[in-house]
Amino acid sequence: MKLDVELTPREQVPRWMGYGTPVFTILAALAVSAVALLALGVSPLAAYRLMFVQTLTTSFGMTETIAKAVPLIFVGLAVYLPLKAQLWNIGAEGQLFLGAIAGSWIGVNVSLPGYALLPLMFLAGGVAGAVWIAVPAWLRAKLGINEIITTLLFVFIAAEIKNYLVRGPMQAPGANFPQTAQLPVAARLPELPVIGFPAGIVLAIAFVAVIHVVLNYTRLGFEITFIGANDEAAEHAGMSKLKIYTVVLLSGGAIAGIAGVSEIAGVQGRLRAQFAPGYGFTAIPIALLGRNGAVQVMLAACFFAVLFVGGSSIQTLLSVPAAIVDIIQALVILFLITAEFFKQYRIDLSLGERPDPGATGSVEGDL
Amino acid sequence: MAGLLTGLANATVNASTVLILAGLGELISERAGVLNLGVEGIMLVGALSGFVTAFVTGSYWLGFGVAILAGGLISLLHAFLCISLNSDQAVSGIMLTLLGTGLTTYFGNSWSGKSISGFPERTLPLIGDYLVEIPVIGSALFQSTVTDYAALALVPIVWCFLYRTNVGLELVSVGEDPETADTMGVDVFKMRYLAVVLGGMFAGAAGAHLSLAFNEIWSASMTAGRGWIAVALVIFARWRPERILLGAYLFGLFNALQLYSQGIDLTLGAGVPLAGLVNPVLSFVSNPTIMSTYPYIVTLLVLVVTVLRAENRELAQPSALVQSYSRELD
Repeated sequence: MKLDVELTPREQVPRWMGYGTPVFTILAALAVSAVALLALGVSPLAAYRLMFVQTLTTSFGMTETIAKAVPLIFVGLAVYLPLKAQLWNIGAEGQLFLGAIAGSWIGVNVSLPGYALLPLMFLAGGVAGAVWIAVPAWLRAKLGINEIITTLLFVFIAAEIKNYLVRGPMQAPGANFPQTAQLPVAARLPELPVIGFPAGIVLAIAFVAVIHVVLNYTRLGFEITFIGANDEAAEHAGMSKLKIYTVVLLSGGAIAGIAGVSEIAGVQGRLRAQFAPGYGFTAIPIALLGRNGAVQVMLAACFFAVLFVGGSSIQTLLSVPAAIVDIIQALVILFLITAEFFKQYRIDLSLGERPDPGATGSVEGDL
Repeated sequence: MAGLLTGLANATVNASTVLILAGLGELISERAGVLNLGVEGIMLVGALSGFVTAFVTGSYWLGFGVAILAGGLISLLHAFLCISLNSDQAVSGIMLTLLGTGLTTYFGNSWSGKSISGFPERTLPLIGDYLVEIPVIGSALFQSTVTDYAALALVPIVWCFLYRTNVGLELVSVGEDPETADTMGVDVFKMRYLAVVLGGMFAGAAGAHLSLAFNEIWSASMTAGRGWIAVALVIFARWRPERILLGAYLFGLFNALQLYSQGIDLTLGAGVPLAGLVNPVLSFVSNPTIMSTYPYIVTLLVLVVTVLRAENRELAQPSALVQSYSRELD
């Protein structure tokens, strides 16, 4: 008996795969993570019920989830937008740090009423994020240096600059903790009336809407997707790769910077040395899960927000290390990129001999 | 002064071993065309598996072996995704780092706080006692653990492997031009698998060096970003094994200076001209936190200068780095 694996490139991805992949991916990741829970003697059902049902059915859980979702939506978009042009902004975490630094500096040092101060903080955060990606963007657009490594290297520089500032120039006077002073009330994002959700969610949804419209209904969006699909053809059609690469990367950096401000002004209240949310890396599975559209990015960000909130509640209530969330994140990426392969190729398994199917393409290799 | 220099030399060499091991591993993998951003995660897997094995069996040698195996095994996942499934190498690598960090933090929770007695520091046989007497660098280089010596020995070994053996040359060719290599009869897939797994074993060894020789404890995320520095180191070394050694010492020196800079007064006296202007700059650049950005900044500079100076604006990087390879379909 001989097991034959035949791979055929698909001409069209079946529709159910496009929508089914994210759902299947998440379920598979949760199923495998259940093994890790069982290994610690925790019932996966009880843990997942606590993580998801509890989080989504209590008002505390919902508020926490929305609060976490806001920065995650922003960083998700910060990776998603360049990805549309086939560029990887792996360093959203660094741009987020710079945004948080700029935002909290303005918040602590400028005294203005809230309606003027908050926009100024977001603006400064956006500019700082864009500045932080400017060098990698220039290196990519002008010199063709791969943006993956450069954006990544800037993350570690940003983290140390933050550590330096909260221990030095930006440290709260008269205190020994490595942190800035508390932001004044005017610099804190208010809660929405009636429902009590953090107001940042409105801004996040607005960004989702703008990016959705730009990508789908404007010439710029068309150029971005065209360059992402086939950069050579796009250049023949007279589009400027330099322009599009600069635009998507700088906007990505700016949005990640805004994520930093939203986290400081909406959740943290001050910049601390320990502030290292890792959102910039979570943004990668978010952008991958939501690669079909900005709205999907938002949904994926909400899923990870639930995961983070649920992760900390099972840590408190069941003593399960919150690192389970990292494992689930990794597995989501793992199954997503595996699913990408199955989207591209049809796989036929056959046992024993079979008539030669004729000349079709096939991938050879260890499978 | 001599005491200070000896201290610096010791700290530099101590910090460099883990970078040499992880850097050589990443270099082998990238030389075959596969970027592995999972080093940090693989190192953690190596550190924990090595530590637990050594703790349970009492043998640090067994722990070291298990760590190397574990590093190879988990990087097999990266190899499968990138080589067989043509996945995006950056994404797969980040996944591996998340997975390694997550798994080791999760399962290592109950092991933190325990300690073992790991590899002892030894002098070399026969001439070792004389070598240690060399001023400044003697004790740094010749009063070390087996893993330190092994890392140093591996630099020429990897160099010979890559440039003087058939397998090594095939490995490099696969990273430069997989199509041609394939036409010449080199098994591209096998070579890339070999490189990624070998690289993973090096990263596993680097992690085990941390938990079995350098620290002799386990703590979550104990690699503290050294995996990322190793990725930077390969760029700094412009994909040459001998420059890995140089870079590891330079980055190790940055690390050592962080420990010692607070004890040294770098500021100019009040009488020196421009002291008011220079002193803030000096204290900024010698701030330990700012110093920990140096490896990344130096790497970025090397990257930019190389590209600007090269005639066709090409890096010395393997031409097929980050490109997946599939026959017939392209």
